Amino acid sequence: MINELKQLEINALAELKTAKTEEHFSNIRTKYLGRKGLLTGLLRNISQVPDVEKPLLGKLSNELKNLLNAKIEEALRQQAIRNKEDVLLKEKIDVTLPGNAIKCGRIHPVIQIRREICSIFVSFGFSVVEGPEIELDYYNFEALNIPQDHPARDMQDTFYISDNVVLRTHTSPVQIRIMEKVRPPLRILSPGKVYRRDSDVSHTPMFHQIEGLLVDKGISFGDLKGILTAFLKKIFGENTTLRFRPSFFPFTEPSAEVDIRCVICGGNGCRVCKQSGWLEILGSGMVDPSVFQNVNYDSEEYTGFAFGLGLERIAMLKYGISDIRLFFENDIRFLKQF
Amino acid sequence: MLVSLKWLKDYVNIELTTEDLAHRLTMSGLEVEEIKTVHPQFSGVVVAKILSVKPHPSAERLSLCTVSDGVQNYPVVCGAKNISQGDIVPLAKVGAIIPGGYTIKSSLLRGEKSDGMICSEAELEIGDDKSGIMHLPADLPLGLPLEKALNIEDTVLDINITPNRSDCLSMIGIAREVAAITGKKIKFPTVKIKESNEDINSLASVKIIDSDFCPRYTARMIKSIKVGSSPVWMRARLEAAGMRAINNIVDVTNFVMLEMGQPLHAFDFRFLEKEKIIVRKSKENEEFISLDGKSRTLPADTLLICDGVKPVAIGGIMGGLNSEVKEDTQVVLLESAYFSPSSIRRSARKLAMPTDAAFRFERGIDPEGVVKALNRAAQLISEISGGTIYKNYIDEYPKKIPLTKDIPLRLDRIRQIIGTEIKAKDVTGILRSIGMVLKQKGKGTYLVTPPSCRVDISREIDLIEEVIRLYGYDHVPVTLPIVDVKEMELTPRLDMEERIRQLLTGSGYTEIVNYSFGTPQAADILSLPENDERRKTVMIKNPLGEDLSAMRTTMICGLLETAKKNANNGSFNLKLFEIGRVFINSSKDELPEEKNMVAGLLTGEITDEFWCSGKTVDFYLLKGSLENILFDLKINNCRYIASSIEPFLHPGKSCGIYLNDKKIGFLGEIHPDVLEKIDFKNNLYIFEINLDILEEVYEKKKISYREISKFPAVMRDAAFVIPDAMEADQMINIVLDQKEDLLEKVIIFDVYKGKGIVEGKSLGLRFFYRAPDRTLTDLETNAVHDRIVQNTVNLTGAKIRT
Repeated sequence: MINELKQLEINALAELKTAKTEEHFSNIRTKYLGRKGLLTGLLRNISQVPDVEKPLLGKLSNELKNLLNAKIEEALRQQAIRNKEDVLLKEKIDVTLPGNAIKCGRIHPVIQIRREICSIFVSFGFSVVEGPEIELDYYNFEALNIPQDHPARDMQDTFYISDNVVLRTHTSPVQIRIMEKVRPPLRILSPGKVYRRDSDVSHTPMFHQIEGLLVDKGISFGDLKGILTAFLKKIFGENTTLRFRPSFFPFTEPSAEVDIRCVICGGNGCRVCKQSGWLEILGSGMVDPSVFQNVNYDSEEYTGFAFGLGLERIAMLKYGISDIRLFFENDIRFLKQF
Repeated sequence: MLVSLKWLKDYVNIELTTEDLAHRLTMSGLEVEEIKTVHPQFSGVVVAKILSVKPHPSAERLSLCTVSDGVQNYPVVCGAKNISQGDIVPLAKVGAIIPGGYTIKSSLLRGEKSDGMICSEAELEIGDDKSGIMHLPADLPLGLPLEKALNIEDTVLDINITPNRSDCLSMIGIAREVAAITGKKIKFPTVKIKESNEDINSLASVKIIDSDFCPRYTARMIKSIKVGSSPVWMRARLEAAGMRAINNIVDVTNFVMLEMGQPLHAFDFRFLEKEKIIVRKSKENEEFISLDGKSRTLPADTLLICDGVKPVAIGGIMGGLNSEVKEDTQVVLLESAYFSPSSIRRSARKLAMPTDAAFRFERGIDPEGVVKALNRAAQLISEISGGTIYKNYIDEYPKKIPLTKDIPLRLDRIRQIIGTEIKAKDVTGILRSIGMVLKQKGKGTYLVTPPSCRVDISREIDLIEEVIRLYGYDHVPVTLPIVDVKEMELTPRLDMEERIRQLLTGSGYTEIVNYSFGTPQAADILSLPENDERRKTVMIKNPLGEDLSAMRTTMICGLLETAKKNANNGSFNLKLFEIGRVFINSSKDELPEEKNMVAGLLTGEITDEFWCSGKTVDFYLLKGSLENILFDLKINNCRYIASSIEPFLHPGKSCGIYLNDKKIGFLGEIHPDVLEKIDFKNNLYIFEINLDILEEVYEKKKISYREISKFPAVMRDAAFVIPDAMEADQMINIVLDQKEDLLEKVIIFDVYKGKGIVEGKSLGLRFFYRAPDRTLTDLETNAVHDRIVQNTVNLTGAKIRT
């Protein structure tokens, strides 16, 4: 009888292995452990077994019962998990389809450059100020030491609204407007649109400038070099080589043009730098005493420097853009690249 | 300014390489923009001698020459008449290349062998003379390449002269700079005048009526001149400087202008009636034909050089056709004058005649150089054209041209400006190297007198600039200013702009920047009524084109145009915004009003890859973007008013946006008529908001925390059937105006029309009730809810939908 019990175990385990569905498992349970099941049937004949074997047989049959029950439970549990997974797998989606949130837009590349430059100077303690884009001749020229009938007016071809009113040709008039209101010390930055009567691959009739001004006691040309060097290294990288060379702006004296080593050719000479190895980046200089006089600053007590740069030019160099007009054509295929 | 190095070397020794020279000039303020090499346009052309000339046996107009290059004799067939035995000529040998890329080959001309070509100036593009073979000086060694013999190769520097440096608009001026930066001495041309016995004063006179415009007028006369072409050397120099050779008289005036910076003019004396020069201002609308043959109507106060009867030149700008030097001119009156810079500039601008002469006069010429240049030109004319110079010169000098003298210069001030100490010895050395005269005046102070050519120097700061420029900007140590440390903040408006930028780009909008000017038709395209503020357009007097002549009064047109351009490029799904200014003409103020605006546009599908939604943009998407902006700026009390209609918007799908009864902008769908005008197919949705008005509120907005209730909210829904014309906003306001404390918020969960609704529409409202200190009971909730619903029904006549 013990042998029969063993055989029963072998058969039951074999059947369990091949079972696939929940139904199979419950059939197996019924077949072996049910009231009319094989194990029950076998135990019905226990009376024929000698008494000494009875306890052993009882123990073995109990063990078999527990074993089968556990096996079936486990198999059913596994099966339930599999079933759930099957359901989930049937819900499988194509994860390579594009997401459907609204795609981000972009900030205009020139405005991105403006933010970058403003944040550098704000960290240097400059405050950002603004002024009108349509300006009086006085602020745009006269007060900046560019009198009527002065050849320096040729440097900037001007749009006129009337004899006395112009589209500002630079952001420098903001200097004057602020200095008229505020006594030194002063550290200001004025970004904005400016207008010049010019249009070709490297000129648009409107573009963006940032102008900076620092006035205090004891400000020198060395300080101008220091601040602008720190700034240009932040924008173009720590290894940027730069040079200051004499130039002329009516409202600064001495005046300096600041060049950086050509970012395209590294100084070997290329089309962008006109073979010179250098790129003009900004104009600067010590504020001319006559400008201070126009705003009633004492030029013996205070000195200062000013600088100005064109944002499109910086953006063109940073992004390798060769036609400035692209910035204002607003082709979405262009704008989305930044 | 184009500077020929060969020419420059006439006045100063240069030992530097061209690159070094260019660098040194650039670093001292004369920016060399380009270095150009001038090459001859030929090769294989040598100096040769004609050994014999015989007539061609079968061609009357040709001759047979034997030509030697010193090594070998060549048979050459030649068609020119001006050759004879012994002449030294340029020979293009077999294999030579002449301008135009022609290669000389051995050939038979009418049966006679020709091994080369004897050339004219024109054929070699050395000059314009094509009348015959070019004759070379007899002392040139035979066989020498012609480019060497004529010294044609040259290097030309293109130097950018800043407007203050009028002294550098001449070869001698550049030479002065080179001498200063290299420590060399400058060599001035020696001027020797051989005068005849006849005195100019017995033949001609000068009278200056307007001495403000013309403080000084000098003249010389030369007779018996022979007008012809200038010698090769002079033409080469003029051409290197970018000027065209004309004849030996005009060329000399140009040459001396380039050499010394003093513009000159030569009149044919025959045409000066009454042998007089009278300098006066023009009357309004005087007519005059200038040298270039153009008839010009002169504005009043143009300086005129006249003879006893009529104008003969526009002073300082251009001569007249009636008195120009012609082929048969024999006597010239040469003018060298000083004209007031501002008057020349005004006239040159008004007349649109930016001539080389005007360019120099308006920047200020050397007052002391007037007579020097007069003599130099007289000498050259007499040398080149064989003329005789009359005795003496006329020098009308009614008004002293002021020269700057004794400018005080303090070494302390130099240190203050530069930030570093430069030794007194170096300062004085630098200033003396550019011709300044210094006198010590007490310790650390000098009195400095600049040379008369430096009209740009009148103040101490001008001297300091000279010192630092020649000391070298590179030698100034880098320092950092000592200032208070404080990090600054953006102004509220710029801060607001930044937030809007972030938010809109995050919601899918891309920023554009349009020109602030556009077509004056903008107001018509938008169908704006006559009295609309946006018709008060600021116009540009000198625009680049009519379509760029009107300052924008709204950003909408720019957005529409951008949408149109992008659609033309195949981009139909657009979300765009722009932040910028619009300009409204003001009748009161000189300057127009500038308003800061943000505007946006939507069109097409919500996303480019619309596999998942396939939805096109609509009014509510745009409104949502706007609400987000206002929410972010903590501006919660805006109202959307449908009765506020913009003529360019769909009257049923648009509204005005109001903040505290002030209109801050609008949004809506573009009117079909406007779409038709701009030929756009898809629907467009736009908004525009005035940021200046928002700024007033934005500044004052502070966040104060409100406690969050720990107790649950109770929700109740109710659907009201109301007339179509009734707006959701009105319903919400009626609910909120009841000011029930327990009502936390009310939202719209459904808008329904159709089956079951006979008339009007159903508006489903969801009410949230909550108490801060307890869980509400059903009883409490129902009481409030029923009250609100009943009141609302009473106030609106709505029916409750069940």
